[in-house]
Amino acid sequence: MIFTVAASVLAGTVLACFLAILPGLHIYNVMGLIALFLYSLHGSGIAAMPEVYIPFMFALVTGWSMLNTIPSVLLGAPDESAIFTVLPGQKYLMAGLGYEGTMMIGAGSLAGIFMLVFLIGPLASKFLPIARYVLTPHMHWILWVIITFMLMTEWPKNGNWGPAGWRKFFAAWSTLGAGLLTFGLSGLLGFLLLYRSPVSVDNAFQNIMPAFAGLFAIPWCLLNAISGTEVPKQHVRDALNINSDLLLRSSIAGGIGGGFASFFPVVTGGIGGLLAGHATAQRDERVFMMSQGVSKVVYYTGSLMLFFVPGLFLTHGGGALIVKGLYTPHTWGDYYLALGSIALSGAVSFLLMSPLTKWTIKLIGKIDYRRISIFSLGIIVALVFTITGRAGLFVMTVAAGIGLIPVLFGSRRLNCLGVLLFPIACNMSGVGEPAAAFLGLLK
Amino acid sequence: MKGIAHFISGVAAASFCPWAIEAAQNGNPAFFILGAVAGILPDTIDFKFYRFFYHHEVSIYPEPTKLDPQPVADAVAAAVTEAAVTGRPVRLKLATIKTGVDDWRQYRVRIDPDSGEVRVQFGPVVSTGQSPQFGTLPANRPVAVARFSVPVKQSYEPVYTVDIFDGPSFLFQRNENGTVEIDFLPWHRNWSHSFAVAALLAGFAFLWTWQAGVVVFCAYALHIIEDQTGHMGSNLFFPFTKRRTPGLKWMYSGDALPNFGCVWLCCLLIFWNVYAAIPEPLYHFSFLRLMFYAVIIPFAAFGVVRWFLVRADKGHPETLVTEWDV
Repeated sequence: MIFTVAASVLAGTVLACFLAILPGLHIYNVMGLIALFLYSLHGSGIAAMPEVYIPFMFALVTGWSMLNTIPSVLLGAPDESAIFTVLPGQKYLMAGLGYEGTMMIGAGSLAGIFMLVFLIGPLASKFLPIARYVLTPHMHWILWVIITFMLMTEWPKNGNWGPAGWRKFFAAWSTLGAGLLTFGLSGLLGFLLLYRSPVSVDNAFQNIMPAFAGLFAIPWCLLNAISGTEVPKQHVRDALNINSDLLLRSSIAGGIGGGFASFFPVVTGGIGGLLAGHATAQRDERVFMMSQGVSKVVYYTGSLMLFFVPGLFLTHGGGALIVKGLYTPHTWGDYYLALGSIALSGAVSFLLMSPLTKWTIKLIGKIDYRRISIFSLGIIVALVFTITGRAGLFVMTVAAGIGLIPVLFGSRRLNCLGVLLFPIACNMSGVGEPAAAFLGLLK
Repeated sequence: MKGIAHFISGVAAASFCPWAIEAAQNGNPAFFILGAVAGILPDTIDFKFYRFFYHHEVSIYPEPTKLDPQPVADAVAAAVTEAAVTGRPVRLKLATIKTGVDDWRQYRVRIDPDSGEVRVQFGPVVSTGQSPQFGTLPANRPVAVARFSVPVKQSYEPVYTVDIFDGPSFLFQRNENGTVEIDFLPWHRNWSHSFAVAALLAGFAFLWTWQAGVVVFCAYALHIIEDQTGHMGSNLFFPFTKRRTPGLKWMYSGDALPNFGCVWLCCLLIFWNVYAAIPEPLYHFSFLRLMFYAVIIPFAAFGVVRWFLVRADKGHPETLVTEWDV
């Protein structure tokens, strides 16, 4: 049995390698398709063994959450114009250090795996059920407080120069206003998708996918394609410019962010990272990058892992919801299977990271960067159309319009998460239906 | 303290109010949101509203291509002298230099009352996270010196670093002894950081319910008290006073450990308060036990692990440290 499990983990990790390299493709979409395939197998009288598909699913999530660093650093090159907000990973790419930047985040991800398996894993069943018991009745206001924090801590990026007065004030508030507008419009879109989605009921589990593609992936591909950025020659260094202290501080910041996101409903890794970044007040770019690696893995893999924690069985995140439809864990054996799968897949993914990064660097050296972006755009559009049809394409287009606002005005792209946060916070406080009725969505 | 520490302190203040917990249990998040907003509001007023309307008599825009520090030093010294000679307050702003999407040219200014000098020097390009960028330190970095011959009193630090977003501003004002007092960021931690404004805003909230007024006052006042642990202090008793009461100088607002410690402690206090409000809890633990498991053990473990790692790790990452002669 152990060889079957190991083979399943390796197969999932290898598939995750290919999926992670494609920018804009979310692993939950793929997991949803695999779930559909398993349902159809079951319908035709063939039952797949959980010891095969559970490790496979864990390997997909773990491998993807580690290896999607590669496209996020190497295929997200910024232009020198002011319309972009440059992330540290992209700065490494533009300095010819894309390999080092990617591997640094990868080191953070490996630390995240270590935290999950050796720290959170043994302690989760003892402490998290208590935390869940105490906090469950209060989740709604915690979510509202997080939304308030997101909206109130956007920093005015303009209005720094010139004489005092309204002109300066409005210049500053162009960024803040764009952030508020993005959140508001995303929230309205979220209400629409929740109460009167144009996407067919048959694809209801992929309801949010076109919105996410439009809000996050499409603006990224479009701007890369339009800007025609020249990526400089990349240099591969054998040693990373980090030490244990930086890695420890990154692990604390990222672990808190990712852990918070994996435990609280609707809170994503990005929000967790934002909160932890503020809370731990880390300024070093290397700590920021590595903590993103930690946070990503702890959030994605952790939220699936928490579904397997005895006494907790927390269903949070798309991955856990998909697996819940297939299997209900109930023993410590299931939990150890989950932890073992995470450990093996995490180790293999980290070993694959270096060769895959080098391969991608070769690719961007040979093929025009604009072509890669257009190819990525094509894949996303094709995927949305295949899964959700023309209605999904329409939703994606509307969402892309909203997703372009923060990119063009330099505000936080995280405000696009209003698509989830606003309608769900309203529902949790019991005002979702009246709000939907006010918007005319219940007629 | 940083915004998140004030923000979560406001939430923690609300969690001490039994009516806030009771309302939350019935699906009403209003008191917690009020606490959070009031907790961060003093800085929001200053940084997102008031500073854009604060007038400066002198604004210094260094030339980004020349990197000549002398005009900057001369202008600062002239402003000090003008305040001393005319007796009128002079508000001076040092503008930042943006060199790219995420890049800013850093420079430092020292106003030294003992030597009667203003010293200015340019440094590297830094990111918005204030990290120096490799290869950006100018080869030639002269230190400009300009003199003033009037007595000056510092109320903050003698060295000011100018780099990201909005540059620092100063109010030079002659006092009754003829000494020019330097007020750093005169638009910040002034009237907005006073108990009177806290009471005023609580009064508005009181119009809704008295409970909201209590939450707003506690959260707002807590922000002001927390800021007193730093260096700058606040004008606590506006409108009766015009100057800031100096801070206790226990920490700098950007220090990682106090900020994280405050956030973590507030989270635990909130957790304890919502736990204590459960009538017949399924799990039983004391406040001390919570603190032991959630503060003592993790912080001690972090300390021990860090101690071992720092000693075991012989290699130090390459980090840019800028040397200044100001």
